[in-house]
Amino acid sequence: MSSDHQEVSNDSVLDDLAPGLDRSLHRQYIRGIFVLWFIMTVLGVLAGLYLTPILMPHMNSPEGRAAVKTVIVFTVAAAPVAALVCAVALYSLLHTRHRGSLDHPPADGPPLRGNALASGVWLITSTLLVVFLLFWGLTEWSAQQVVHADSLTINVIGQQWIWDYNLPAQTVRLPGGRELKIPKELALSKLNLPVDVPVTFNVTSKDVTHGFWPVNLGIQVDANPGQRTVIRTVPDRLGKFVVRCSQLCGLNHAYMYTQAQVVPDQDFQAWVQGGARGPILAVASSQNGSTK
Amino acid sequence: MTATQPLLEDTVLGPKAGRLYRRQSFATGLGLGILLGAIGWFIAQNTIQSNENFGSDMTVAVTMAGWVIGFNIGIGTFNAVIRWMLGHDQDKDDELYAAGVGQGKARYWKYCTDHKVVGTQYLILVFILFFVGGTLAMMIRTQLLTPNSTFLSPQTYNAIVSIHGMCMIIATIIMVSGPFANFIMPIMIGAKDMAFPRLNAMSFWVVVSAVPPLLATFFVGGVNAGWTTYAPLSVQDGPAMICFAITIITFVVSVTVAGINTIVTVLTMRAEGMTFARMPIFVWASVIGGGLGLYAMPAFLLAMTMMVADKATGTSFFVADQGGSGWLWENVFWIMGHPEVYVILIPPVGALLEVMSTFSRKPVFAYKLAIGAMTGVAGLSIMVWAHHMFTTGWAPDLAGPFMLTTELISIPTGIIFLCAIGTLWRGSNWVRLPMYFGFLFLWNFIIGGVTGIYLSDVPADNYFHGNMFVTAHFHYTLLGGAMIAATAGLCYWFPKVTGRMLDEKIGKWAFWMIAIGFQVTYLAQFYEGFKGMPRRVANYDPLFAPENLISSLGAFLLMAGWVVLLYALVSSWRHGEIAPANPWSAKSLEWHTETPVPLENFLQDPKVINDPYGYGASGAEQVHAVFGHHSHHTIEEGVKQ
Ligand code: HEM
Ligand SMILES: [Cu+2]
Ligand SMILES: [Cu+2]
Repeated sequence: MSSDHQEVSNDSVLDDLAPGLDRSLHRQYIRGIFVLWFIMTVLGVLAGLYLTPILMPHMNSPEGRAAVKTVIVFTVAAAPVAALVCAVALYSLLHTRHRGSLDHPPADGPPLRGNALASGVWLITSTLLVVFLLFWGLTEWSAQQVVHADSLTINVIGQQWIWDYNLPAQTVRLPGGRELKIPKELALSKLNLPVDVPVTFNVTSKDVTHGFWPVNLGIQVDANPGQRTVIRTVPDRLGKFVVRCSQLCGLNHAYMYTQAQVVPDQDFQAWVQGGARGPILAVASSQNGSTK
Repeated sequence: MTATQPLLEDTVLGPKAGRLYRRQSFATGLGLGILLGAIGWFIAQNTIQSNENFGSDMTVAVTMAGWVIGFNIGIGTFNAVIRWMLGHDQDKDDELYAAGVGQGKARYWKYCTDHKVVGTQYLILVFILFFVGGTLAMMIRTQLLTPNSTFLSPQTYNAIVSIHGMCMIIATIIMVSGPFANFIMPIMIGAKDMAFPRLNAMSFWVVVSAVPPLLATFFVGGVNAGWTTYAPLSVQDGPAMICFAITIITFVVSVTVAGINTIVTVLTMRAEGMTFARMPIFVWASVIGGGLGLYAMPAFLLAMTMMVADKATGTSFFVADQGGSGWLWENVFWIMGHPEVYVILIPPVGALLEVMSTFSRKPVFAYKLAIGAMTGVAGLSIMVWAHHMFTTGWAPDLAGPFMLTTELISIPTGIIFLCAIGTLWRGSNWVRLPMYFGFLFLWNFIIGGVTGIYLSDVPADNYFHGNMFVTAHFHYTLLGGAMIAATAGLCYWFPKVTGRMLDEKIGKWAFWMIAIGFQVTYLAQFYEGFKGMPRRVANYDPLFAPENLISSLGAFLLMAGWVVLLYALVSSWRHGEIAPANPWSAKSLEWHTETPVPLENFLQDPKVINDPYGYGASGAEQVHAVFGHHSHHTIEEGVKQ
């Protein structure tokens, strides 16, 4: 605390927080809590920044990476608040814990019934944080609502306990004037996606509710009987991943998954032209982290 | 019993001792329940069973309804109503009898109106439910030890996960509102009993009758659809789903009755001087939690009734190809389901703040703000249900609004944290066992809360929904948060409820096993979720093997911790050190009457002059209540249990 002015205003805050207590003591408390808070905030921020990308798999689409980024940003944003709670709790354990005989209650603490300043700061900070979270979420969400003029349509049909994919005959104009042609309707049991081509999944179910979850694309939607639900993405990294079922659908829910991969669009075109027989040139698994 | 017994027998049991209803107990309930269930089964067998579409569903429905009604007639739920209709209301003797006077331990097996007996009965029931739910959890984690385990078949696995979930939800809903809002809360406000003592007994015995149908599900095919029983999967399920629905419908009756009772008690039974602003925070929490239950539970009753109709009578509320919608089920279910998690959480939070205040020797920080925060949480919680439906495809335009309401809840939730750490700040921090659990709550609930905001974010939820991350998140909030706070409350009120001190040495062993086991179990599950493992799966990709092994080992340690705690509780209850009336030198009223608490709670009426948080204050401000005026109208003055 350098200037006199700061010294004074600081002391009145301290007075508020702990009336009738010797100032050097409560300055010591605040310093202690501040140090703990600072260390834990730094740890939280570092964990958010560096641990999250290690814990979460490589994603094959912007939506997938948005999920990872959100975890990072929210962890960083929450770190100071979480650290403050932990710091006060830890400090009260380490420093103001009653150390005599535990058989009898210690002397009373100061009769602090609240503090307008502390409550106000807390309220305003948490409100601002919430506004930020909301702003972040809505921005990301609306960015994901963009509908590309032309996209590859894939019908996804869930039934107990398999996923079926149906590629209607279609021509998708790609950026740069090229075209992707599906000459005739194809029924497939595995999901292959051409890289960098917008894709629209029309999802439905023949029996109960399933959850269509192409894991590393970071999107999912339920397959509801009698309904068609739609999700979109642009897979932009090559790699293998798994489509799982994210909604309990009965006996063999656990085994309801298919392999999927994102492949170069020429390979995809050639494969489709050949009647979608046999595997496409296999690419490395993205679960193990390799990318394009 | 003691020397007063002959007297009691004269006055209480004397001339009317032979009456039929005085012979009623758990045993007659069991007997009549089984009898009516069997009669129902027999009739259904010979009439509707032949209908191949829903004959077996109807049979199970009639059997289970017969059980519930029979049990409740047998135990005495309808006695007062029947006698009143026959033209003779209860007289004073009957009331004394119903309150359990002079019946020793037998009264715990009876339809007893003493709120302390009801509270104790609830406590035992909660232990049993947790033990059942915990055993099921151990079976789940045993199955998940290795990727391709065949310990359980997929069918059994689904049945166990579903009943684990529902059993735990029932247990956590009643874990504080049952034992403590019944035993402690009326004493806290200086009441002689609850406002409706007979309804109080009813709320307990009705839950008891709801438990056998829940367990019966295992014997009629098992519930396949998880505790959320999403339609149309659940409509496809066998008669187990009917048992499940009967459990819920019965349970809702109990929670409703209990909620009304709690609220009316607080509104009408407070001691002189006990203004709203002087009520302990736990009383507020009980009222807010109970009130929220009154909002949430009817939706559950409605949903389950429609479900039974779909299954047993061929309506099609939820069946898409006959014009129904699974989304309708999901909506009605979560309109109940989200408020319900706060019905679980709010009462334990109230208990936690009492513990924090007593052991910090300081007032609850920002008491009024804490009340506002709990009210705010409850109010907002009824507007967030569709955050469980972000990925269902229903009403995509509502993603934004529901993200908003969900994230807004973190503001009042944050205030609860502020109140907790504000209470700790500068406190004397007397670290006894309840406080251990108090600190553990803070840690767990921070993690549960922060992971909750990831899930509230629609783009992130599009990754995490339906995966183990969600499982870890709600265990951090419900088990790590609510149940740990409730455990803090249990350790705190144990001496008052049982009259004995809890063995803290064993308790601390249990604490460390629970604390460490819990982190290992669920941090590993967060990691499973990060990596993309779906929940509710009996087998999994070998990719997820290491963290599942770790999670299972953590779970075994966690469960062992609970068993050690249970041992400490039971052994201390039986032969622990006799507790003084006020072992914590706390100020609220329950600590200022004798232990064991006399019938009608106070020998002298309390007059409240301040709130119970006068720690560190001077003069009269330290004093919560004065005792002095003599009781006017106790039913049996001076009679102790
Ligand atoms: C010994 C402590 C516990 C352990 C080891 C445990 C473990 C588990 C496991 C492994 C699952 C299945 C996860 C999945 O596949 O989604 C599960 C589900 C669940 N647990 Fe627990 N649990 C415990 C205590 C609790 C408590 C106290 C609650 C309180 C509410 C609870 C509520 C639930 C619910 C609601 C489900 C979801 C059931 C469903 O998917 O339908 N659990 N638990
Ligand atoms: Cu499934
Ligand atoms: Cu919710």
